[in-house]
Amino acid sequence: MDSNRRKLLSLLGVSPAALLAAKATGAKGVAGGDARGDNGAQVAGEQTVEGLNPRGIPPAVQLFAMAPRLKTVEGKTLYLVSDGFPGAGTFLHEMQIWFAKHMPSVKTVYRLKAGSFTQEDPALNAEIKAHANGVIMAIGH
Amino acid sequence: MSHCIEYEKMGIPTAPMVTIAFHDLAENTAQNKGMPSLRICYTPHPVWGKSPAQMYAYLEGDDPVTHKPLMPEVINALTKPLTAADTKTGSFTPSVGPATFSGTLDGLQKYYMNNGMTDFMTIVIPTQERVDAMLKGTSHHPDEMVGELTPARGLYPDWKFTVKHVAISAVMAGCDPSYFPVVLAIASSGLPSLSSSTNSFATAAIINGPIRDTLNMNYGIGAMGPFSDVNATIGRAWTMVSKNCGNCGQAGQTYLGTQGNVVSFNNLIIPENEKDSPWTPFHVQKGFKASDNVVSVFFGYGIAQGQGGLGSAVTPVPAFDEGLVSNFAPMTSIFGALGVLDPLVAKALVQRGYKTKEQLSDWLQKNTTLTVKDARTMLFTGGFSLRGPQAANLKPDDLIPHWPKPEMINMVVVGGETNPYYQVANMSYLRSISIDKWM
Repeated sequence: MDSNRRKLLSLLGVSPAALLAAKATGAKGVAGGDARGDNGAQVAGEQTVEGLNPRGIPPAVQLFAMAPRLKTVEGKTLYLVSDGFPGAGTFLHEMQIWFAKHMPSVKTVYRLKAGSFTQEDPALNAEIKAHANGVIMAIGH
Repeated sequence: MSHCIEYEKMGIPTAPMVTIAFHDLAENTAQNKGMPSLRICYTPHPVWGKSPAQMYAYLEGDDPVTHKPLMPEVINALTKPLTAADTKTGSFTPSVGPATFSGTLDGLQKYYMNNGMTDFMTIVIPTQERVDAMLKGTSHHPDEMVGELTPARGLYPDWKFTVKHVAISAVMAGCDPSYFPVVLAIASSGLPSLSSSTNSFATAAIINGPIRDTLNMNYGIGAMGPFSDVNATIGRAWTMVSKNCGNCGQAGQTYLGTQGNVVSFNNLIIPENEKDSPWTPFHVQKGFKASDNVVSVFFGYGIAQGQGGLGSAVTPVPAFDEGLVSNFAPMTSIFGALGVLDPLVAKALVQRGYKTKEQLSDWLQKNTTLTVKDARTMLFTGGFSLRGPQAANLKPDDLIPHWPKPEMINMVVVGGETNPYYQVANMSYLRSISIDKWM
């Protein structure tokens, strides 16, 4: 199992080993192996017991299509958006310098998203929809 | 990541940029939010604290994931034609695996531990028989929904869970069925003991009402330490529930606390010493009757252990008030403060004129101040006093309250009166929940 798949399953609350177990046995998992490769296989004569799965109920995941891509960024307007974490603004200002040096036809517009980093900024969303051809967003630290 | 997905849904192509330290979180969040192909580009870590020149060097360097020049990768994210996977729609419900696991006792111990379902200490294997016994600790149906939990609201999905799910975790934590209503009340609070932040936050629960004595909870000597199976296993169950029912605490994915917090093993469980306290019990302050059984949950940075050696509490000297302020002032104002006072301290405070907890909170709010200059240099001040028109005329040396409202400063009385000590937690009160409802 590759690491990306393991990460996805883990975030979704799926134990990779649990899924393997489920695949192997149907309704019940067998704790004969685990995600780190330890072996809990049954010792001859040792009693097998059954434990319940404590995991809760994740919601369904809705998939969305990505936006059509640009043919080129040359001559386009790119919004460089900071979510407000320390350093993100400076980083994007440096990116503006990079574009000015390497791709001067690209117009860059810096914006700091309002609110905490998870909050929506409806005014900025409207501005981006009206004026941006693409968005580069600096997220987190 | 959510914002970029919203822009994509608006028809605007995006190139989200994240530092490599958050690779797993970013990829998982994109998948979790329904856009697994989102073209995330990575910089070295950190950006925070780097000079402009260092940041420019990042831009001229490689993406640490693809090992290709970063800026062309960013431009590719905006221009490379979409694949079929990029435009896939529909939905799926993730599986959490089979209903039961079978193996030897040792095998199951490892299995639960290595699959993120424990606190990495030995658990009680949740057999059907044990879970059935736990379920007898409540009148509620095993399939009744208890609530929702998430490592961070808005970033991760809210998982739902039933009475039975909580019972399984309570068994794993070693709880007796009689403790189950307390665990259910905590689980229903919506507050996980493990949140995803890069901070290493802690949680606390004050327990009030007759159930403290019914369960023989420890509110005397060593109340917050490992000296009571009731306190310990109820607190441990909070972390088990958070991991298992809310998908919290998966290090690197749903938990990013850079150093972790030892409190998270079994959290701060504080049964108030109502018997020896001169003040109104905490739950009565929040509108409940004294006869009600209530849990009140707190969230924040944690507790400053051993901070309040307060001989002056029983020796009325002028330094006493200054000492009290000096112990509260180091707290950040992004969270409130919770004074955790031995009954001897509370009684001494009454003698000094603080007839109620509220009077003490009022006094502390007025007298725990900092300069505007200092407040503006703090990364997280809470900022309440620096926002709005009232801040326009503030001068650098003006003193402003550390906390804007006295309600942000709470008090609880616990301890065995072996000496007049207190501790201060930098934690905010969130809400109080009836335990009786879950009996």
